[in-house]
Order: sequence, then structure tokens, then C-alpha cells
Amino acid sequence: MYNFRLLRQLRLGGITQATATRLTQAPTCRRLLASHHKRRPQLGAVQSDQLQQLKTDYFEHRRELSNEEWQRVRQTLTDSYKYINSSNVDAVILGLCSTAEQLPLAKSYLGYLQAERIEPNAATLGRLLRVYNAAHHTRALSDAEQSEIVHICDAVQGAHETLDASSCEHLIHGLVATNHHWQRALPLLEMMKVTSTPSVAAYSALAAKAFSVAQPELAWRLLEEMLLARKLPKCEVYLAHLAHSAQNASTLVANLEQLLQFLERHDILISDLVAQQLMALAQRMPQQFQVASTRLDRMGKCTACQQHLQHVAISDAQFAELHESFLAKVLIRNDVFQKSTPEEVARFKQYVEQTAPYDCVIDGLNVAYSTGNKKPPQQLAKLLATVVRYFKERRKRVLVLGRQHMRNWSKPVWQYIQSNASVFLTNNLSHDDPFLLYATLRSGQETDFFSRDLMRSHAFLLGGDLKAVFRRWQQEHQYSLVTQTQTGQIIVKEPIRHRLSAHKVNNVWHVPCCDTYMTQPPDSFEVPEKWLCLTIT
Amino acid sequence: MLKNILRWRTGQFILNGAVVSPVSTARGLCNPFKSNTNTVIGEPEQKSEANRKPVNPFALSRSTPLPDNTVVETQEERDKRLKVLQLEADIAHQEGRRVPALDFFQEHHWSHVLTLPSKSARIKYYAFLWQIQMKKKSDKEKKALRADATEQRIADLRKQREENTHIIYGLAHTSMFLRIYDTTINHWLNNRLTRSMQFAPKMVLDCSYDASMNNRESSNAAKQLMLCFAENRAHDEPFDLHYCNTNFEGRCMQYLKRYIPTMLSPEFPMNVHTKCFTELFPKEQLVYLTPHCREDLKTYNPDDIYIVGAMVDTVNNDPLSLAKAKRLGLRMARLPLDRYLQWGSGSGKSLTLNQMINIMLDLKKTGDWNAALQHVPRRKVIDLATQQADNRQALNKRANKLNVRIDHLLKYEDNRREATAFGTPQKLRQGKEGMNFNLDSWATGKKKTSRSS
Repeated sequence: MYNFRLLRQLRLGGITQATATRLTQAPTCRRLLASHHKRRPQLGAVQSDQLQQLKTDYFEHRRELSNEEWQRVRQTLTDSYKYINSSNVDAVILGLCSTAEQLPLAKSYLGYLQAERIEPNAATLGRLLRVYNAAHHTRALSDAEQSEIVHICDAVQGAHETLDASSCEHLIHGLVATNHHWQRALPLLEMMKVTSTPSVAAYSALAAKAFSVAQPELAWRLLEEMLLARKLPKCEVYLAHLAHSAQNASTLVANLEQLLQFLERHDILISDLVAQQLMALAQRMPQQFQVASTRLDRMGKCTACQQHLQHVAISDAQFAELHESFLAKVLIRNDVFQKSTPEEVARFKQYVEQTAPYDCVIDGLNVAYSTGNKKPPQQLAKLLATVVRYFKERRKRVLVLGRQHMRNWSKPVWQYIQSNASVFLTNNLSHDDPFLLYATLRSGQETDFFSRDLMRSHAFLLGGDLKAVFRRWQQEHQYSLVTQTQTGQIIVKEPIRHRLSAHKVNNVWHVPCCDTYMTQPPDSFEVPEKWLCLTIT
Repeated sequence: MLKNILRWRTGQFILNGAVVSPVSTARGLCNPFKSNTNTVIGEPEQKSEANRKPVNPFALSRSTPLPDNTVVETQEERDKRLKVLQLEADIAHQEGRRVPALDFFQEHHWSHVLTLPSKSARIKYYAFLWQIQMKKKSDKEKKALRADATEQRIADLRKQREENTHIIYGLAHTSMFLRIYDTTINHWLNNRLTRSMQFAPKMVLDCSYDASMNNRESSNAAKQLMLCFAENRAHDEPFDLHYCNTNFEGRCMQYLKRYIPTMLSPEFPMNVHTKCFTELFPKEQLVYLTPHCREDLKTYNPDDIYIVGAMVDTVNNDPLSLAKAKRLGLRMARLPLDRYLQWGSGSGKSLTLNQMINIMLDLKKTGDWNAALQHVPRRKVIDLATQQADNRQALNKRANKLNVRIDHLLKYEDNRREATAFGTPQKLRQGKEGMNFNLDSWATGKKKTSRSS
């Protein structure tokens, strides 16, 4: 029974949904992201499933092919695919045998090219280095292979003074696979910055290598740089760090603390892979630290250690910064006329000075239209009045924001609202959301606001560090209307008041986890379901 | 290497700002292998042009001025960057990505590539060039395929003509139709336009939005402005069209000059002003047409001068025209699209500039909105029947998902066992009071009261 399940979820407290999303889907399925649609295949790119046939014909379980067979492969590719020609077929073939087990195949292809006296171009060599990198994760490379890698790097670097970003990335991957020459990859990273910000893969490969050869300062420096450029480190970095820390029992705790503080500072969620590795490590060293997989209950209590998580409140300094720069960055920006007028901003400021502080600021239009766009105005006004009554029953002071045309909604309902709340109406042409947030910020750290809006554009306009501060403040203070039942009772979603990132509570670390690693995690409003409870002795 | 980034980024400010004319930069940047006599390309030219440019008091603030301590990128650094970018394109082509071969690129391509801010922007531009190259190639192949058939056809036609002893009747041979040349038509249209400049109502195109459009949008805007002029001229009752706030160093006007080279010559009937429309016309007569306001335009008033903002706003969604009209204190209106048309869900409600001018022209001529709004493309508009069917389907689906019938659950907290999602617990046969079967009184003919039953 779908509806009953919904109610049980809400009341018995397994709230796993967002602070402000609509609960229109079954609670058990993940909220789909807007970018989750299927991409149309691009023109020109050879489909990987088309190449599957080729792969099974020639490459399955083979370690090398003869020269005639390579000739045939080359011919087939050039003939059957319109956009593959003699200049890019080599790189395409090497892209086909890119996994670790296919390294012998790649080498045999290069042997064929040598026999035919075809000079492999820079892209082909770069792809070969990638194959070496994939192989080195499974087994150590032999000396001959490593010297070949170095030889290739010398050749490519010698040909051009400054290399482009993708060549640099290939070379970095190649050098990281060697034992003694990986230091050469660092100036290559700097070279990448000439044309573009270095990619996640390049940073991650270097940082993982730095951890595995016991140079943690370099690795941490790279990771901080990466996060400054808003790129999330891949799982392999954390895995390398854990593998390396496991070797030295005395510094294990210090390394672990450093990792956890890093996760806390940057609000990173670790993937399942890393979580499993952590738990395995804890089982091997039970006297140093213990890890338990846990869940949170509704009030923010960890079910494993029965402690409440830290409150999500932002510091006073951060709050002050948010408050001061809000109006300038979001409402006024370059041109105050885009969202409002100067007179209106002045009038609003004056009104807020007179009637502050509030307990809650309500976004009138957002609330009124919560249950549908095309309702008669009386119903819209009634919904707003119901929300005002909800707060009045709890003896809270309320400010309602709206637009001038709302005056024409039902008069008696409007009388009720005006007698039980402060009201400010903007012009019909102005945006009312920035006013809402400004009034809430102005009233102080205790004030909440009521809206279903995710405030994405405002978060973006604040930019950079303020965006993270804003999101935390938003999570702590945003009430939203879930729905209105048939009889007119409303169900309100209260904000989640505990922190959603890794942090310490009385010497016990709580670390949230996500399912898989994502390069750019979207601004999701989901509460992480899986947490790790780490006790360090 | 890190120094180069700063210089590159600040060089970008110069290259992207409206101050620099693209022509002069292209001249300097194009071929790094040719020895350049004027090595310090645009700098002195830029500064003098900046001083000569007339300051428009109503223009919105442009890009932020450079801070004092940055250094302009020199020619060698630009050359180095160009070489790296060429290497990047080459390697990407070797990998089989959507980048054309190096010999396809020309100088103006490279000068555009150097102005792009990020790697992903470059990738998209290369993909665009790749598509052009592929199209050209496939056109050539198709032409080669058809070459034989074409030759055959031409040979047949020639043979027929030789064998024919009569006069050939046809448009290029003997016909009663007088050949009318394009220039004749142009002269005739221009004449009508000069008459409309004297007597017809005025319409303003506000070209001050150059700074908020990127390169592609500017070229689209220029093409639309050219089409505005052409379609206005071809109409039965043209407007007197005025292009105000034009900035000839900006990209939009440069592209427009390529479409209409004689634009600025005095005998050409096109009104181009660098001044603002508030200086040319009285404020009470001006009405700014902007999609961001609330009032619909109800009837056409020939005494009002309507202003259309010449902006292509695919990227930028800010209500710039609304802000400008508010700041200048002008009246605002929008087209009553919702009232007369049913919009489909596909494309947004944006109309191109020439569509706007056509709508206003037809509105002026007929006074009928339905006729005027025929110029809105049909793909944006959906007909009533299909839309109603769609709506009904969507509502039914949503209704089944959203019905939250849980009031009874809220009340029957104790009888959780008995409460279900679809009904409340009821006594058995509740609706059948007074219909209980009683053997004693059955068929006795006496009416029993409810108390004794």
C-alpha cells in the first residue's frame, strides 16, 4: 500500500529524503537527476558496441596477432567506418586494447607498425602509455618496459617545447607506472596548466603515486590544489593512502586523522570501495581503531555509538559574511533593475528594520502554489493562511513575503493573514526570493524560512566559498511544505539540524558514504544513507 | 608557465572587450610564421580607438576595466600559445576525435580559437569546424556521383537545341516577359522606403546589447537585423526603422556591415544612429517591448514608437531589456502570445527580431492579432485538440500518483490494524439498518418497531 508506506516513512522517522524536494516518488527509489537522460550518440564517434564485434572477432583471448591479421584489422576499420582513416586508425586500435590484460596485444601491434616501417604518431604512443598504466595496477612492470616508457616520454617531450594537455596527461600516466622516473611527471602537471586546468585523472594518478612511495606532503599538496580547482579526487588516491598507512603501525592513527580532517574540510563523501577498504583495515588492526557501518535515526543519532551528531550551525563570522555580501551579490549584482528597483530595496530594508526579528519568514507565492498552478485564488490564499496558522499555533512570529497582486485574493483570508503576521508585498515585476533570504539573514541565526525552492540560482550567484556556507545555512533553516491532505491539514517538513559531512563527536568520527564515485556530484539534497562510525583508540 | 596563464587571461579581456576591433587583431595574430612588421599589433590602435569611441550615457556598464598591475600578453607569448593549441588540435585529430585536420584551419579560425576561454569551449569549436569539413566532403562526393548524370543531361540538351529548327521559347531565350533585374527591384523598394521615412510610424531597434552576447549570438543578431531591414522594406506598408545605440567597434555591427556594406552611406535609406532613442524621440511616445513584463499589448497605437531590443538571449537569461526600460522610466509591454496562441512544450517563447518586426507590420496593417501572429513559427504552437488530449492524459497520471488519502489514517491511530488506505473501518451491514431478519415477526403482518427488534 503505497500511501501507507509513505506515511510510515514520515512518522516513524526513517527520513532519507531531501530537505526540500517533492516526495512524489516511492521513498525507496533514488531521486533521478536532471542529467540522467540518455545521450544521443555523437556523430563521428565510433560506437563502442559496434566495435564489440571486432573485438570478439580478433581480440578475444589472444595475446598477439600476426602481421597479416593486423593488416586485416586495419583494413576493416578504415573501410567500414567513415571517420576512421589512416591518420587515426592506429590510435583507435590501441584504444581498443586498453585494458591491463591486453598489453601484449598492444605491444604486438607496435611490432607490426615497426615491421611495416610506419612511424607511430604521438597520439598512438600516448595511448600505449595508458595501457602501461592500466597494466601496472595489476603487476609490476619489467625494467625493459619501464625503459621503453621513459624512451617514449623523451621522444615526445623532445619533439615539442610545450605539450598540450592530453599529451601531458598520457605522459603523466606513463611515468607514474615506472619506479624511478615518476618525479618527471610534476613539471608536466605544470605544463598542463598552460592550456587548461589539469584533469582529475592526472592529479589522482600523481597523488596516488606520491602516497605509495611515502611522500605524503606532496600528495596532500596536490589534493588541496585539486580541490581548489573543484575537482574531486578519485577512489584510487584514498586506497593508495590506506594501503601505505597500513604498512606502518605507528603512524597509522596520525595518517588516518589527516585523511578524515581532509574529508571534513572539503565535505567529501567516500565511495563504497574506500569504505570497505577502511573496514578491512580496521579488522586487521583492531587495537588501533574500530569501524562500524551505521545509519542515522530521525533526530540525528548514530545507531552504533548512540551519540547525537554535531549541529550544522555555521560560525558567527561566516554568518556575518553571508549577511553582508548577500544583498550585493544576489539582489543588486550589476544592475538592481534586473530584479527590483532601488526604491523597493530601500522600502524593504526600512520595513525589516522596523519589524525584525522574526521566527520564520514565509515565501507567500511558493507556498500558495505548492499544490498546483491552476487553483482558484481563494484556495491559494487559504493554503497560505493554513501555513500562517501552523506557526501561530506554535507561537512564532512570522513575516509573509509576496507580490502586489496577492492583495486581490480573498479578502477575509487576507484579513486573517494580516492580523497574524507581518506582510511585505513587492512589485509584480520583482523577484521576491532574494528578499526572503535577506530578511531571514537579517533577523539572526535563529530565524528559519519556509519555501520549497531549492535556491540554486542564489547559491550559484554567491559563488565559491560562500556557496558552501549558504548551503549549510539553508539545510539548517529551511522548512518546506510537503503536501496538503483532503481535509486541509498540512504536512510540513522540518529542516535537518545535524551536519551531513565527516566530523568528530567526542573523539568518534562519523563519515558519510555514497554508492559510487562521481566526478561532479550534483547539488543533491539527499541525506547520505550509509555512515561509518570510527573510534580511534 | 604559470605567468602565461595570467597574461593569457588578461589578454582575453582585451580580445573579448568591445573596444578592440576584430579586424586589427586578426591581422596581427593570423600567421605567426610570417614576419610581422607591426609586431606590437593592436595596442596603440586600441588606445586611440578607445579615446575616439563616443561615450553612450545610456549604455549599461561594460566589462570590468583591467587592474593596473597586469601586463598585456606579448607577441611571442601569443605565438607560443598558438603553437601549443595547434599541437593540441593535431593530437586530438590523430586520436580520432572530432577535430579537423590541421590543413583545414585558416587564420581567422586560429584567431577565434585564441580568444576562447577554456578547453571545453575549444573542443566545441573544433567539433563545429569538423562538421563543416565533413559536410563539404560529403557534398563533394555526392557531386562526383552526380557528375556523370549531369554531363549526360547537358549533352542531351545541347543536342536537342542544335537539332531544333524553330525558335526556342523560354525565359533565357524568346519570351514575352521582360527581364527585371535585382537592382530595379531594389531601387523601387528603396523609393518606397524613403516615402515611409517621411510618413510612416517609427520603430526602434535597440542595438546596445553587444556586451551581453557572445560571438555566435552577435552574428545571429546581425543576421536578424539584416532580415528586419529586408522584410520591412519588402512589406506593403513599411515602418520607418531606426537602429539606435549602435556601436561600430562591436561585433554585431561589424557583422551587419558585412551583410549590408552600404549601410552607412548617406543615400541608403537606413537610419543608423549611435545616439540613444531617448535623445531622438520624446519619452512619452516610447514603448519598450520586452517579454519579461506583465502587461500585454492590447491594441496597436500608431502614435507610439515601439522599441525592440536587438539581443539574442540564448545564453543569458537576465531580464536586461526590462531593467533598461525600468531605469529609463519607459512604458513596457509584451506581445499577448498566451492569449492568442497555445504554446507547445517544445521550444521556449523567444521570437527572433525579424519575426517581431513582421508581427508588428501585420498588426499595423490589419489590426488583427490572429493574422499578425501567423508569423510565429508553427512548430512552437500546438493545436487545441492534441493539447487537450495531452493535458487530460497528464492529469490522469498525476492524479493517480499524488492523491494522498490519509486523513482517516491520521484519525484512526489506535485502530491501525483496521485502517486501510482506501476506507475506514465500518460496522458490518451499516447501511442496512432496519432490514434485519427476525423470525418472530416475519410474515405476521405486524409492524415491529425498531426498539423491539
